[in-house]
Amino acid sequence: MTLEIDTLNALTSQTLTDIEITMVEGLIMSNDQNTYIPVLAKEVPTLENGGIVQKDDGTIEMTWNLQEGVKWHDGEPFTSADVCFTLDFIQSEAGQAVYNQTDYLGITECQMPDDKTVVFVWDKPAGNYATLFDTILPKHMLEGQDILTYDAYNRSPLGTGPFKFAEWKPGEYVRVVKNPDYWRGADFPKLDEIVFSFIPDPNTRLNGLKAGEFDIGQILPNQVKEVQDLAGYKVVSVPSNRWVIFETNLFNERAKTLFSDPNVRKALFHAIDRQAIVDGLMEGTVQLANSGISPTSPYHNPDVPAYEYDPAKAAQMLDEAGWAVGADGIREKDGEKLSFTIMNRSSRPERTAVAQAIQAMLKEVGVEVTFEDLESAAWLEKWLSKEWEAIIGGWIIPADPSLTGLYACEGSNNFTGFCNPELDAAMEASDATFDFKDRKPLMDKVQTILAEEGRELPIYYNSLPYVMRENFQGFKGSGTNLGSFWNSYEWDLGN
Amino acid sequence: MGRYIIRRVLQMIPLFIGISIVIFIVIQAAPGGPETTLLATGRFVSPEILEAYRTRLGLDQPIYVQYFRWLTTALSGDLGYSYKSAQPVLQVIAERLPATIELMLAAYLLAATIALPLGVYSAIHKYSPLDYAGTGLSFLGIAMPVFWFGLILQLVFAVQLGWLPSSGRETVGNTGFIDQLKHLIMPATVLSLLYIAGWSRYMRSSFLGVINSDYVRTARAKGLHERRVMLVHGLKNAAIPVVTIIALDVAGLFSGAVITETIFAWPGIGRLFIQAMYDRDYPLLMGIIMMGSIMVVVFNLFADIINAWLDPRVSYD
Repeated sequence: MTLEIDTLNALTSQTLTDIEITMVEGLIMSNDQNTYIPVLAKEVPTLENGGIVQKDDGTIEMTWNLQEGVKWHDGEPFTSADVCFTLDFIQSEAGQAVYNQTDYLGITECQMPDDKTVVFVWDKPAGNYATLFDTILPKHMLEGQDILTYDAYNRSPLGTGPFKFAEWKPGEYVRVVKNPDYWRGADFPKLDEIVFSFIPDPNTRLNGLKAGEFDIGQILPNQVKEVQDLAGYKVVSVPSNRWVIFETNLFNERAKTLFSDPNVRKALFHAIDRQAIVDGLMEGTVQLANSGISPTSPYHNPDVPAYEYDPAKAAQMLDEAGWAVGADGIREKDGEKLSFTIMNRSSRPERTAVAQAIQAMLKEVGVEVTFEDLESAAWLEKWLSKEWEAIIGGWIIPADPSLTGLYACEGSNNFTGFCNPELDAAMEASDATFDFKDRKPLMDKVQTILAEEGRELPIYYNSLPYVMRENFQGFKGSGTNLGSFWNSYEWDLGN
Repeated sequence: MGRYIIRRVLQMIPLFIGISIVIFIVIQAAPGGPETTLLATGRFVSPEILEAYRTRLGLDQPIYVQYFRWLTTALSGDLGYSYKSAQPVLQVIAERLPATIELMLAAYLLAATIALPLGVYSAIHKYSPLDYAGTGLSFLGIAMPVFWFGLILQLVFAVQLGWLPSSGRETVGNTGFIDQLKHLIMPATVLSLLYIAGWSRYMRSSFLGVINSDYVRTARAKGLHERRVMLVHGLKNAAIPVVTIIALDVAGLFSGAVITETIFAWPGIGRLFIQAMYDRDYPLLMGIIMMGSIMVVVFNLFADIINAWLDPRVSYD
């Protein structure tokens, strides 16, 4: 673990929820195949299995059958009332603390035909419904409480998961212990306890692993070389759903004069040697990306056009776009120099290194790049204000890839001003569809348009290297936003 | 003396209010706010959610309204809730304070035990090999980056030799004294180095000033034993400025050591502070900085009082 977490309430936490997932479960979870699997539900409802019924008035009835015999850690039974209670909280005003609250607002009704059945009524189809309800709250504990400040839950959560909360030493660690009554049966979990130690400095983390103090730990990609031959340990690199991109802004006035011509963007992309960044800078620990959706996802489109490294072509494209090399070696057009600023963020040194590589590569084709270095919160504020020219960005997406928020003209997280009606239509159609067979070609098209229009240059998919003892078994790392602890009940330290 | 102390304490009240106003404005003037940290994980978070977060924390109000709300509750002993953990600020600080005091005390004791005798020895045996060694050590201590020294110690004593744990304050499930001591050794050593460097130089120059003074010569002329001259007549007078320096440094006891605590994953105030800064956790920042300011002011007063007690020529009225 790196930073200390804020709260152990997985719904309201602003950090990723690795720790909570060992204790608290939801209806679904995403696995190492970038696919949603049922947890507290018997199956994920689909049109095929009859779990989803589209009514004539356009509303949707979605039925979740819950697992039998599931108990909260205090012995109370888990029922459909807990599911509807969780939805009520998320849709309430306090539920604004849930980062993806808006995705839940399409549910107009939560019905409980019996203890083990929940029916959601949606006002319209929501293709990414499987990303929701990764956490269920215990109604009998939280009813009538102010959940945002209720320490009895937020500091020691009550769940149904394989491990029970044991202790949280501020600034040091969180310890969870085996739940002997786990609903998957007496065989699970295999481990007796897990201790999550908070160690902020990456070098200290590495030293602790080298000293044999930990069974498993996450390191940085550029530390892999140092532990590859560490006796008694193995390194497992998990491909992440986080992809790193070079993106240019179209909101900012000056950036618009430079980048609104797609051919200029594409020319810049051809001048960037991504393979060199992957192999040299990142020491081959990450994978080159051509699209935002990871190859581990069933929605990945392997056929999107790639921006191969070709500086001659880049120079030619810039010439054709009217940007001629000036006296000082920098291209210019109508008195404007092809010179822009990449905004770097101090908390992401690896992206700053990528920016430096890009600076050198673009200089070769007569493009000048300068830097503005900002501390993390200052960077985020300026990024939100949309008054920047270019960044090395990165997003992490759930296993179900709705990209509408990021790329739609009016998308809530569209901070670059890129807008393409054809793209919007494809994404909306995908969001309004429940069937993988129908969504897949639409998402393929989305990825193709993004590449063809030069929305951004995907550089690489991040990787999450884990160092663990050689006898560590059952680790199936997942690169989704829900992380690698999804199957901690299967983990074991055997011989 | 009593009247002097009462006057000084009363003077602190407007001082603290002034400090709190300045800090309140400065920490909010830094670009970015607590809501931006919601985006730090890279998940999609809509601007409406960010706006709602600001409103919930009351950050949409004018800054003077926010300040007066903070001041009125603070005067009643309530420093508010941390944005990040939703826990009372006083509780969050109280949880971290013992670790910081433990680390700082250990470092001070270690530093004082080494620095003061070293300073005295260096002064008496000026330009001796050990004096040069002490001088070299001082410069090394000041020049060496703390994080680098810390990592080197980890590599040697945790990774190579396996004698000491690389980080943390205790082994999980082990609350024994020996275990805690093992965890304390490396961070306390790293932290003490800076103090050793500073204090031994002060001690050396202060002692050098004293042993050339008239009253020391008089003591020698009276035929007193050299050891008695040095330790009674010399040391007592030479200690005055050094004690002042040490007393002023003690204020830092409560604010922790950011780099050392980060490198050794020590659960103290310094680490809490730096994280609160990244998170723009305004109430927690206010709490930590105000506590630090109060300590500086209070220990300044202590230093003055100790000075008067050690040196009868100093009088306050």
